[in-house]
Amino acid sequence: MKTVKKMFWFIFMISCGLLFYSCGEGEKVADLESKVEQLTSENTTLQKDLTALKEKVGEGQVYKLGCSLAITGPTSDAGNPYSKGVEDYVQYVNDEKLLGDSKLVCFIKDDGYENEATKRNFEEFLDEGIVLYLNYSTGSTLALKNDFEEEKIPVIPASFHAGNLEGSHYIFLPIVSYSNQAISLSEYIVANHKKGTPQAAMFINPSAFGRGPVDDLKKAVAAGLKMDILEVVEHGQDLDNTALLKRLLEKKVQYVICHTVQPPVATLLKSAQALGVAAKTYGEPGKLTFLGLHYAGGPDLITLAGSAAEGYYWTTSYKLTSYKDEGADAQLALAKRYGRDEKTANSQNYTNGVQVAQIAVEAIRRAKAKGNEIDRQSLYEELLAMNGYDAYYPLTTVGPVTFSKDDQQGVDTLQLYRVEDGVFQAIGVPFRSEFVKKVK
Amino acid sequence: MSQNRWLATGNFFTSYRQEQRIFLTHLDRLIFICLLVVLFVWPLCVEVSNKQMLVIDNILIAIVAILGLNILTGFAGLISIGHAAFVGVGAYTVASFSRVLGDSHLLLTHGWPLMILAAGLIGTIMGAFVGLPAFRLKHLYLAIATLSFQMIFQWTINFMTFFNQGQTISVGRVSWFTGQIGRNDHYLFWYYVTLSIVILFSFAVRNLLRTRYGRCLVAVRDNDRAADAMGIHPGFTKVYAFALSGFFAGVAGALHAYLWRGVGYESFTLHQSISYLAMAIVGGLGTLIGSFFGPAAMIMLDLQVENLSQVIGKFLTVTMDLATAFRPLTFGLVIVLFLMFEPRGIANWWRIARSYVKLWPFRY
Amino acid sequence: MIYFLQLVVSGTVVGSIYALSGLGFVLIYKSSRVLNMAHGQIIACGAFITFALTVWAGIPIYLSFIISMIITFFMAMSVERVFLRRLIGEPVISVIMVTIGLMSILDGLIYLTPFGTENFSFPEFLPKTPITMGGVSISWTQFVGVIITFMLIAGFSWFFKKSTLGISMRAVSDDQLASMSIGVSIPKVFGLAWAAAGFSAAAAGGIIGNITGLNFDTLVAFGIIVFPVVILGGLDSIFGAIVAGIIMGLIQQFAAGYLDGHWGLNGTANVLPYIILLIILLFKPHGLFGTHEIERV
Repeated sequence: MKTVKKMFWFIFMISCGLLFYSCGEGEKVADLESKVEQLTSENTTLQKDLTALKEKVGEGQVYKLGCSLAITGPTSDAGNPYSKGVEDYVQYVNDEKLLGDSKLVCFIKDDGYENEATKRNFEEFLDEGIVLYLNYSTGSTLALKNDFEEEKIPVIPASFHAGNLEGSHYIFLPIVSYSNQAISLSEYIVANHKKGTPQAAMFINPSAFGRGPVDDLKKAVAAGLKMDILEVVEHGQDLDNTALLKRLLEKKVQYVICHTVQPPVATLLKSAQALGVAAKTYGEPGKLTFLGLHYAGGPDLITLAGSAAEGYYWTTSYKLTSYKDEGADAQLALAKRYGRDEKTANSQNYTNGVQVAQIAVEAIRRAKAKGNEIDRQSLYEELLAMNGYDAYYPLTTVGPVTFSKDDQQGVDTLQLYRVEDGVFQAIGVPFRSEFVKKVK
Repeated sequence: MSQNRWLATGNFFTSYRQEQRIFLTHLDRLIFICLLVVLFVWPLCVEVSNKQMLVIDNILIAIVAILGLNILTGFAGLISIGHAAFVGVGAYTVASFSRVLGDSHLLLTHGWPLMILAAGLIGTIMGAFVGLPAFRLKHLYLAIATLSFQMIFQWTINFMTFFNQGQTISVGRVSWFTGQIGRNDHYLFWYYVTLSIVILFSFAVRNLLRTRYGRCLVAVRDNDRAADAMGIHPGFTKVYAFALSGFFAGVAGALHAYLWRGVGYESFTLHQSISYLAMAIVGGLGTLIGSFFGPAAMIMLDLQVENLSQVIGKFLTVTMDLATAFRPLTFGLVIVLFLMFEPRGIANWWRIARSYVKLWPFRY
Repeated sequence: MIYFLQLVVSGTVVGSIYALSGLGFVLIYKSSRVLNMAHGQIIACGAFITFALTVWAGIPIYLSFIISMIITFFMAMSVERVFLRRLIGEPVISVIMVTIGLMSILDGLIYLTPFGTENFSFPEFLPKTPITMGGVSISWTQFVGVIITFMLIAGFSWFFKKSTLGISMRAVSDDQLASMSIGVSIPKVFGLAWAAAGFSAAAAGGIIGNITGLNFDTLVAFGIIVFPVVILGGLDSIFGAIVAGIIMGLIQQFAAGYLDGHWGLNGTANVLPYIILLIILLFKPHGLFGTHEIERV
């Protein structure tokens, strides 16, 4: 007992020491690295001259990005591949020297889906001197909006909530907003519905993220979209959605628009399968057809829901790897290069992370090509100028990334997918919504 | 009187009043005053980054909350698995004003001391209300009752549109005599405010325990029947403990709202309640000094683990999950190890270290 | 009417799983007076072990179900041995906090595996078409899950009523001193109680995993919802846990079926159990079937 106690003391003392010693471990590592670099470079005088030369030309700068996201905690099933996408692409840029001799550093920190941690990370990144910030959740984007404005720093969040853009100049959504996606889906429903007015319900996440598109969709309906929204359901951590599904059927609902993360959708689909109420074909009368927005679908959903996912409609602006084009090849190659497993490689959230990093890198590259200093202001201007002939075409999206003063949503087109035989198959061509303009 | 008021070399107390003194020796008082001066002066001498100041502020706010939890769980022996909800009550009091009046209303920006007080009062009322089951319940059952309060609080915030359904409700920048507190001074300003409150409250708690109103809590904890026999009403005492702890929590909540310039529901979840309990235990339940050590140790540990896992993540690029697993793992290990090997918490080490220094160079 | 019946059926399905989770919780409390906050994590472990054995090791599901129960049996037993044995006689709060610490440790350990962040789903080995009777339907997975649950509950009941070990466990919960004096080893019984709880938790985990798919957060949530269940049934009543589990399942389904969507209410199924919990604590703290042991202050 006594020895154990002593051991405990010992461990505590050491951890105390560590605590005081490493009040900035990150910097220390960076210091060490630079020291090592220095040492190796000092080995040969030639290299020394080279570095001196580089400094003269002004090359070899370090550009810093910050990224705070939920690698653990709620929604981490999306955040985890996302973080890997960002990490890999930044690594790729450095390995392939896409920014010349300049180095790109991206601080990636886990916030566990907590706004507080996000804010702390953000403050830390600011202290580090980042030029562009990648955020994650809707909640934290809304919470930090004031800070972004005050700091005048361009931000690309993983949340496509239209409300992010309200009263804010520095937030850029990588693809179209949730509202836009929901309205586009509804337009598809209306266009393909057979008899009468389609009756729909929404199945949303109980958070800022989930509630995002509800009001805008209602506005679109008020503006003349011929559809009835009978109910908006905020799901809990339910084991069984029988009651919900039965209720929806009683109300004669035919379409359920899902806007949440994948596990609840999987539970919903499984319940629907258990009850035998899932539509086999689109809009089958007396049955329910399920449709989802970006985060409510993806290859993971099929792993989760199994055969219950058959016939599920889903929309996003990203190409899936089942597309099998050069974008898919590039993504899989990138994932393979950095040793990611198959699941991550095929995840649309990985695509998302890569694309967000791509936008940032593209902005830096353009600013650099113009000979501008890379700072918040120049990147902000570069992002705003990303339109028309200067639009940016990533390989993995179904349209170009365009930003301007009054369009801070990146990719403006959407692709519809449907699960067939356990794979998301693209349906039709990429499309845009008509009613969105009326809502604004 | 032959005793030396600078270095107490023995026990010369001739009355209970003497034993109850806050500072036993002049030396203690001197050291304490020096410490206070250092605490107030150091941010002016040392360059501190915003993030570090944010962390320090956060620790101070947690100290305020833990002072409350210690009254409840440490002194009165009532387990609360819902302390974060009480803190949330305080924060949402400020948020409600912000919702109704707009986030930059004069009352919020200039009358912030009033708001903090109001949050404390609402916290008191909620605390007393939630404490009502204590009339009938003890131990485990009371713990479960506070747990259900936590869950109901979370649902209410998440459900009601008034509270923005759990989304962040922003709170404006406050003003001081020197004008509006800008972005750069924000964290420093709240450091001073929170530090002052911590000092004030610590004295309050210390003094409370010198009066019958504090000792009745301890009496009920140790033996409620005996306390009853001595004329202390155990039920009322417990409700009173809840109210008192609710006040501290409410103030902490208001400070939290102002520091983070917004209130969102994630900061007041069950997990946070558990963290508060862990802080109280690691610090040392039922000790005043433990209320300072606990939050500081736990919050610093959390950050260190985060840094450490990042360092590890650098070497093992593929196993990101390994790095992120460390946080809950160390959190759990620290709690379990403390409970198994040092149930009296860091406060006990402090006691040992103090007596060692005092007696040095002699062993006893 | 069909709507009502459907709610009853699905409520029973959910409720029986609550019953099984509650059972494990009550077992521990009954014998050692420990409030196990880590029950959800043990359930999750059971589910993950079952999955790993079935899918990664390729063992048939019924076999891996049993193996996972056995593994969890020993895991829970060693948890008791390592963490809780030395805390016998410590104040209530220490014991609660140790289980909370345990919860975090298990969280961390699970985050070390892919299960922490990723979602998995069991291969489907039962017919996909639901069983339908007069408009009321239930999926095969749910149906089989309920049957297994009731079999396990029956098994546990038999164990406690008839077997020598079960009787000695009951004896310990009644009077520790008396049972010690007739030669029952108290530490052994405590260990066994934990082991049995782990056993039932693994079973619950396996069944939940099959019905909903494996998501860590969803599985862990069971550890919290178990509180209203066991308080309703009485903290130390096994029969109470079973009845209360099913009642709670029904209440949640009815709340979702009749309250949600009306009067602007939503997600009531998540809060109603706790409101009931508070009411029960105020008016009938020993629950429906618990022993009248708590004293009024």
